[in-house]
Amino acid sequence: MVEFFAAFITGLTAGGLSCLAVQGGLLTGSIAPSTATKVPAKKGSQSRKRARTGKRAAKQQPATEPPSARTILLFLGAKLVAYALLGLLIGALGSVLQLTPRMSALLMLAIGVFMVGNGLRMLNVHPIFRYFTFEPPSAVTRYLRRKAKGGATAVTPLFLGTLTVLIPCGVTQAMMALAMGTGDALRAAGLMTAFTLGSSVVFFAVGYLAVRLGGVMQKGFGQLAAVVLLVLGFASVNSGMNLLGVPLSFLQPVRTAAQDAEAVTVLPADDEQNVITIQALGWGYEPRRVHARAGVPTELTFVSENLFSCSRALVIPEWNIREILPETGEFTVNLPAQPLGKVLNYSCSMGMYFGQIVFDQ
Amino acid sequence: MKQTYNVPDMHCPACSMLLEGLEDDLPGIRRISASYHKQRLDVDFDEAQVSEAEIMAAAEELGYALTRRER
Repeated sequence: MVEFFAAFITGLTAGGLSCLAVQGGLLTGSIAPSTATKVPAKKGSQSRKRARTGKRAAKQQPATEPPSARTILLFLGAKLVAYALLGLLIGALGSVLQLTPRMSALLMLAIGVFMVGNGLRMLNVHPIFRYFTFEPPSAVTRYLRRKAKGGATAVTPLFLGTLTVLIPCGVTQAMMALAMGTGDALRAAGLMTAFTLGSSVVFFAVGYLAVRLGGVMQKGFGQLAAVVLLVLGFASVNSGMNLLGVPLSFLQPVRTAAQDAEAVTVLPADDEQNVITIQALGWGYEPRRVHARAGVPTELTFVSENLFSCSRALVIPEWNIREILPETGEFTVNLPAQPLGKVLNYSCSMGMYFGQIVFDQ
Repeated sequence: MKQTYNVPDMHCPACSMLLEGLEDDLPGIRRISASYHKQRLDVDFDEAQVSEAEIMAAAEELGYALTRRER
């Protein structure tokens, strides 16, 4: 549930704003023809130009007559269904590919870099960051554009909402990669649905209001989206690094200090093996750092009790262990003797919660 | 006539879609292609039907200032 909530929040923040920037044109275009005739011609040279070019009135229409709430809802409803189905598809694809924890970590790193690049692109930091977004081929955008102008029945926004899968925004692309990383069709569909639902709220609010408020507001929202993307991107890179057990992830120094303060030393009574018990809790693993004896085997047990957090999705990358802990119960791993100074990292599958066993005794 | 323009105001791929929509709005545009990555607009148009000034004015109405790219 936590991951779906996170996806919803991502949609609610960065997703909605970013999607609006890319797909908003489709929505505003979808009702243009029906109201075009209501536009009074402007005075002077503008009216001559409009009279000559004819269709320009329709083009400009969304600025003065924004889409109705019904049109936006139809559009977003179709989009929701389309992305849920897309989630099913890419989740199934991910399950075929069977990502290892290390591949997931690398994917998360790549997603983070992609999100940071998109954030920097939106802030116009350097032209190179423009390549962090996918530019659909002209043939696709032309097709969508013409469909958008083709009619104004209920079918049009439904159809266009469905077609938004062809022009996913940067954040959506990142979420698609994340959904694929789950390797589970239903989970992926859930993630995409939660994300699209979250983005729909913003899409509706901003789409309904910002089109009325004008470009200045949209620019402000765009910058906000960029900052949110940067934060989420860095968080994803950090999670990927945690998942890889790379000690230089952003929060590691802080966490290490915290772990040192509460570190526990486990020494075997008979020198035969380390017996370590870790509590998997809603907010992480405790104790987060365990000092153990090197050179003897280790029996490592994770205990969970009424657990519904992502700490249930345990990953020990080095041993290629990926296990969903029981809601209540135990999971035990037997490790061979480890060399002196060895650090064994484990985390949840998203790299948000993690812990270490240090064989230094 | 074929002409290329710099479009520094493009801020996302949707801008390409908007600019390419000029072909539906103006007569005499044979081919139009916008690139967000390159911040560029390539237009092939019939001068007898539409002038360069009209194309630039139409783009400006959409919020994009075109500057001619000299070859």
